[in-house]
Amino acid sequence: MQVKLFAAALGTLAFVFGISTTLTAQRSAADGARALEGGWVRLDTSGSGSFGGLTANFARAALTPEGAAKLKPQRDPDDVEPDNRPHKAGEPYIVTQGRCGGFGPGGVEPNSAALFIIPARDEVLLTREGPGARHIYTDGREHPPLSRIAPGLGHSTATWENGDLVIDTVGLPEGGVTAGGWRTPETHLTERYHVEDDGMHMRITFTWTDPKIYAKPHSYSFQFERVPADGYAFENWCDSGDPLQRQSVVPPEQLP
Amino acid sequence: MKAGFLVVTFIAALSGIVSAQANARDISGYWELTYMDSQHVPRPQLVPRVTRAVLDAQAQKDFKAVRWCNILGMPAIMASPRPLDIRQSEKTIVIAAEINAATRYIYLNRTTHISKDIFDPTTNGDSIAKWEGDTLVVDTIGFDPNKGVTAIPGGGFRTANTHLVERYRLLNNGSLLSVRFTWTDPGVFRTPHTYEFRYARLPRDYEARLPLNCDPFDETRTAFLTARP
Repeated sequence: MQVKLFAAALGTLAFVFGISTTLTAQRSAADGARALEGGWVRLDTSGSGSFGGLTANFARAALTPEGAAKLKPQRDPDDVEPDNRPHKAGEPYIVTQGRCGGFGPGGVEPNSAALFIIPARDEVLLTREGPGARHIYTDGREHPPLSRIAPGLGHSTATWENGDLVIDTVGLPEGGVTAGGWRTPETHLTERYHVEDDGMHMRITFTWTDPKIYAKPHSYSFQFERVPADGYAFENWCDSGDPLQRQSVVPPEQLP
Repeated sequence: MKAGFLVVTFIAALSGIVSAQANARDISGYWELTYMDSQHVPRPQLVPRVTRAVLDAQAQKDFKAVRWCNILGMPAIMASPRPLDIRQSEKTIVIAAEINAATRYIYLNRTTHISKDIFDPTTNGDSIAKWEGDTLVVDTIGFDPNKGVTAIPGGGFRTANTHLVERYRLLNNGSLLSVRFTWTDPGVFRTPHTYEFRYARLPRDYEARLPLNCDPFDETRTAFLTARP
């Protein structure tokens, strides 16, 4: 009888210990999710004054000859041909076609709008302050064949590693990559989202791998600051029907 | 032996209760409005000020928004013909649509709206929410009367003074999501205007698509929209 009781107690202990171990493992992902949740704003950490200036400091991509042959100048398809003449103060000029409603392919890199991260059951949702979202599947599914990935933001799956969210993406449309890189649908993008110990800063490390394009993985990081607890998402407004949408800022009077 | 069995049973039962409660309060998933369940919208009682001419003028503004591919906003986003991705975390519920509408953010960590002094009205407004039992009650104000599609199902339109309360509740073991909308606006509705939409949960392996593209400079589309029958 005593032996049986001891065995039962031992079994119960093992069961409870099993639950507790599982909870500890889950807590790691749950802690990561709690830390990541919310709004984040990209920082210019080098004081370069623009994100273009910031990315100019990144290490350039080491390309294979095949990768280098693919590089083409990139341009926003909405831009119009510049007229290449100086403009007087107060004289606005046309810079874009004013097109709204497109959700540019390959828009995986954050811009100056706040980025919102919503870790939820089965999926982490990455959103900005307008239409569209990145859907990051965390339910264990695999990437479908490239031929079945809809054009746009590729197909992303993710796992939690010590509280970091690690996203793997394939199927992105062909195009340029920051710091002299290139991508095709076959290229893998790994993003690691790491929240610093202070809980207020985050680093996203992008790593592009593709043996056809890169001689070695092409990696760089962006820094973010948390949107304050009482902050909220804005809503970007763009109206193609407004003629001002096409114009530059009005050139100000220049100092002599 | 009995003692060990009881402990194990107790823990299992407790975990079952916790899990059931958690599920009833988690509306995360892909949800699709079923055609039939969006058709039973009563006609609202409009105030006398909202004449046919007022409604026509508002419809013209909405048409311009569609013509120029403006973001649609509330309540059009909730009537999306494509699935809604609703994701819930500790502090926020987010609704992302596959149409040209800004993502909706519903804040669970706030009990008051952003001050009107600092909140710029938007097509979706400012939404806060709380759970009342198994019902999520979402309260929204701060609509922009001049942006997006303002038409409200059944009749009427949103203005800067419109107040919306939505009640979300899972039905049929979580396979259906009921959303009961109640619109109040003393400048538009004589009595609160209420209707219910039901959304079907899509399979877990559903994969989201990019929002439908809308090209304001597509001449064929423009000709189709502006053609007279």
